[in-house]
Amino acid sequence: MHVLILFIEILILFAIIMLHVAYATYFERKIIGHMQVRMGPMRVGWHGLLQPIADGIKSFFKEDVVPEQADVVTFRAAPIICLTAMLTSLAVIPFAKGWVLANINVGLLFIFAMSSLASYGVILAGWASNSKYTFLGGLRSMAQVISYEVAMGLSLVGVMMLSGTLNLTKIVEAQGGSFGGMYIFPQIIAFFVFFIAMLAETNRVPFDLPEAETELVSGYCTEYSGMRYAIFFMAEYIGMMVMSSIGTICFLGGWNGPFEVTIFPPFWFVVKVYAFMFVFIWIRATLPRYRYDQLMSIGWKVLIPLALGNIVLTGFIKAFTG
Amino acid sequence: MQIQYKPKRNLLQTILHSEIMQGMAFTLKQLFAKPITRQYPQEKPEIKLGFRGQHALVRDQETGTSKCVACMRCVTVCPSRCIHIRFHEDEERGCRVVDSYDIEALRCVYCGFCEEVCPVNALVLTEIFEYAAYNRESIFFDQERLLANWDAFADMKGSAINGYINPFWRPRGIPERELTAAKRLDVPDEWTIEGQVVGNLVKRDQ
Repeated sequence: MHVLILFIEILILFAIIMLHVAYATYFERKIIGHMQVRMGPMRVGWHGLLQPIADGIKSFFKEDVVPEQADVVTFRAAPIICLTAMLTSLAVIPFAKGWVLANINVGLLFIFAMSSLASYGVILAGWASNSKYTFLGGLRSMAQVISYEVAMGLSLVGVMMLSGTLNLTKIVEAQGGSFGGMYIFPQIIAFFVFFIAMLAETNRVPFDLPEAETELVSGYCTEYSGMRYAIFFMAEYIGMMVMSSIGTICFLGGWNGPFEVTIFPPFWFVVKVYAFMFVFIWIRATLPRYRYDQLMSIGWKVLIPLALGNIVLTGFIKAFTG
Repeated sequence: MQIQYKPKRNLLQTILHSEIMQGMAFTLKQLFAKPITRQYPQEKPEIKLGFRGQHALVRDQETGTSKCVACMRCVTVCPSRCIHIRFHEDEERGCRVVDSYDIEALRCVYCGFCEEVCPVNALVLTEIFEYAAYNRESIFFDQERLLANWDAFADMKGSAINGYINPFWRPRGIPERELTAAKRLDVPDEWTIEGQVVGNLVKRDQ
């Protein structure tokens, strides 16, 4: 019986997240459109509201091309690895008090593990397609994820030290319901490092070198078509949502807000996640791509020392103030 | 020329990402600006004076056919050589008679030289611009098609067609005496030389 309820909960979460992913693409296209003084999708439905559904149907019925020289098994597995890893990390995210599928004590570590696993999908896709562009995209993704995973992990150590736990629910509870309790204030350096590492981790502009459509056609997903291509995009958007959720939970106080919304407890969580998503899109509409060596030097020479310094600083403050 | 470089960022500006913030502020401002998109099939573009669209041969009200005298000026001036005319001499009347008048619209660059150079204002680039077709033959205009194009344009303009004067029929900056009789048209004041931005050659001649 317990298993059945869990299964239904998973299904509901999956459906809601997929809907959000579909409309995140709409949200992104609309906002970038308006920032570029265009309108974005306008044709399908009122103000293009049915556009994501039309896109979904289109990519579902498109021809699925597998290149002749590709490593077929890996080629087919890569998008699934990406999507599964991203979806799995949703299980530990607390949307509201008690609204979590698996309230495990290593939640934060689990999410790191899953987001690293998702980059395997990207690397394998790059390797299996047997093409120059995908291979370069895959290599870049590997280098990028390795360097930024470190910065991201270190930036969240400060949060772990303050809250004394890796359990995401407890991290939110440790911040309390007050505005000043949010970890963004004591951990402002960590937030800065986390934010930049988050952009790099999800392969978003200005660190979208694995995709880099201006130089690598479409990077690791060049050879993909139809639904498999769409799966990579779903994984990217779920990745954005997971990272936004982590940012919300660790720095912005999770589901706590100025007042309780009793009919829909995750209200403030959703608002904060969408604020993060908006910033993602806003940055995409504004900034050009970093050069590859700049990306590496920011990661290793700026973010990691900053994060390490923040750990030392947090440790000192915690030791002296108790 | 002196190049004005931006002053170098100081440390505080680097830490606060002042330049990135400027960019972000700009895009945020644009988010609330009115989009310049024209929703095309519903919203048609405003057609300005001197628009150069589909080709047409003006249908002469008296003869019911084109005004063309086969002087071959348009054929000569056409930079993409898309106009082809065949004619024969009528010995009795001592004039040329047009056998066929073809325009390959797919090769046309819409420069408007042909209508400017035509001594009898027989040719016009109308304001019709939606004539895409699925085959090349439909966009190859022979004399019949060109006259039909004029009829379609006349339908579009309605009663305004009677006083219709294309700006290219009365080229600017050329003295009246140098124009053929048909081109000495009465044009509105704002088309004349005083209200126009003209080149040095025209200014010197005045």
